[in-house]
Amino acid sequence: MTTRILICDDSSFARKQMARALPADWAVDITFAANGEEGLAAIRSGKGEILFLDLNMPVLDGYQVLRRLASQDLQTKVIVVSGDMQPEAHKRVMALGALAFMQKPIDPAALAGVLDRHGLRGTGAAAERAFDVQVDARDCYQEIANVAMGRAADLLARLLDAFVIMPIPVVNMLEPTELHMALDHVDGRQAAVGVCQGFIGSGIAGEALLILNEASLPDIADLMRFKGELNDGAQVELLMDIASTLIGACLKGVADQLDIKFSQGHPQVLGRHIKMGELVRRNAARWRKTLAIEMACEIRDRNVNCSLLLLFTEDSIAPLNELVSYLND
Amino acid sequence: MSATDLELTDLYWLMDMLQSIDVGLIVVDRGYQVQIWNGFMANHSGIRPDRVIGRNLFAAFPDLPREWFSRKAESVFLLKSRAFTTWEQRPYLFRFKNYRPITGPAEFMYQNITFIPLVSADGAINHVGVIIYDVTDTAVGKLELEAANRQLEALSRTDRLTELNNRGYWEECLRQELLRVRRTNRPSTLIMLDIDHFKKVNDTYGHQAGDEVIRQTAATLRRSIRATDVAGRYGGEEFGITLVDTRADDAMVLAERLRRRIEALEVAYDGQTIRYTISLGIAESCEGITDHAQWLERSDQALYRSKQGGRNRATIFQE
Repeated sequence: MTTRILICDDSSFARKQMARALPADWAVDITFAANGEEGLAAIRSGKGEILFLDLNMPVLDGYQVLRRLASQDLQTKVIVVSGDMQPEAHKRVMALGALAFMQKPIDPAALAGVLDRHGLRGTGAAAERAFDVQVDARDCYQEIANVAMGRAADLLARLLDAFVIMPIPVVNMLEPTELHMALDHVDGRQAAVGVCQGFIGSGIAGEALLILNEASLPDIADLMRFKGELNDGAQVELLMDIASTLIGACLKGVADQLDIKFSQGHPQVLGRHIKMGELVRRNAARWRKTLAIEMACEIRDRNVNCSLLLLFTEDSIAPLNELVSYLND
Repeated sequence: MSATDLELTDLYWLMDMLQSIDVGLIVVDRGYQVQIWNGFMANHSGIRPDRVIGRNLFAAFPDLPREWFSRKAESVFLLKSRAFTTWEQRPYLFRFKNYRPITGPAEFMYQNITFIPLVSADGAINHVGVIIYDVTDTAVGKLELEAANRQLEALSRTDRLTELNNRGYWEECLRQELLRVRRTNRPSTLIMLDIDHFKKVNDTYGHQAGDEVIRQTAATLRRSIRATDVAGRYGGEEFGITLVDTRADDAMVLAERLRRRIEALEVAYDGQTIRYTISLGIAESCEGITDHAQWLERSDQALYRSKQGGRNRATIFQE
């Protein structure tokens, strides 16, 4: 008896990882969907006895899919597979009727455990399985960043005891002028503060840049139960706490997925003595292109906005692609 | 904690510490075979420990300054004491990228290096530890500060209105010149000059016209002197020129030329033409002068004579 599996994730890289993690001795028929809308259509046409559902997707996200399933009385067993691993995300999807909540990147052994616990894995014959998912490098970077940011957001959520909203990361190749414009935009919009930290390892080098809207600081102070006057020293202290948490967790998330280790330099506080745009202008002549991954995050019901930029040097791209190709094959 | 207190299990976290600390650690033996190559070194060089441990350091890194490095290390083996180098004498030992390759202000990592003797169980020194510190921020900060100071220094030497040397710097040059004269016994001459009836220029045409007259005087002065002469604005409408290696009679030639040029000069300001003259006083250095104030005093006296004698003239100081 073949089980009809639906994998719903906007990342082709994640869809492929998910399909490969399925137990080899399970007779399955796999359908893929790239967003919630496509996923619901596949379920209506009877292709999803079991749905592996991502949360962070364009068009229709995972939460909305769960609500539609309930309101339209569509029958499927849902296992949420998410980069966002905050306790509240877990609670919300379970309340919306999911069977289980699993972390990305999906671990085959953990998956087998979950399937067995819910009696989902039939004693089918081993099946020859063929699926063809084309994955490009940008998609891999995006998903790796998504998972890394999920871990970072989880830590931040625990630190602040709040829910962190994280959109899908944006991957771009930027030239100095473009990066300059992006940072100038940050400068111009509102007073911003930031922390910049270099990292290097296994032929990959770059910088993590956390940029925080200065108006966020009072809310952060409040969330961290900071007592006393929010003077310059205290502001830098708070900024560094947030930066260590987000940059540290995100870089570790990236390194863990690539199975490497980074050295991290000492962080530098920006925006107080140095304008962001100035940072790039000073040595724009030394590089031509950077691989930039931009991850935004905000805190629900609070005036807290920040963005985390991972900037990789041009000569990091070849080793990065090589490491990613190990994950892909 | 002494070495004997260490349990085997402690070595585990101790090694973890050495691996992850954010300074470069290398240990070489007497044959320069690499024994330790920590995470910092691996990550910044891009060369994993298993590719370099057991190999000769210079074979693994042909770009290293071998002679310099072994001279340092040999002295550590021999003297059993530490050796230090700073980025100021040698910017780096290993050419690593700046830790912040995108926004960092330097192209490479500035490094301070310490060589330390490592004592073996038998008390002998068979290994040298090399510690590499990333001092890029300090180095760049210092270099930028020096550049800023040089700029400030240049700014403070210049008089804003005339772009001649300002009084402070010009007087300092005069002082130096006197020292040179006394050492070499070759005379120099000082000219002080002053715009005649400058107050009247100001009162008649206004202060801005006065400024223009001062500017034009300075410009004419600059055109009239030689490259080795040092001119400065001494006060409001008073200027000084030090003529290096020049006798008073030769200085008189220059003074006369300058006087005639100013006399012929027409300064156009706000549709009006201003004509004016200068008076000059000339004093040659001589044995009686022990400090530059005396020299100034003598040319001031000569200048006074010119004024007394009806202005628009140059006078050489006479005892």
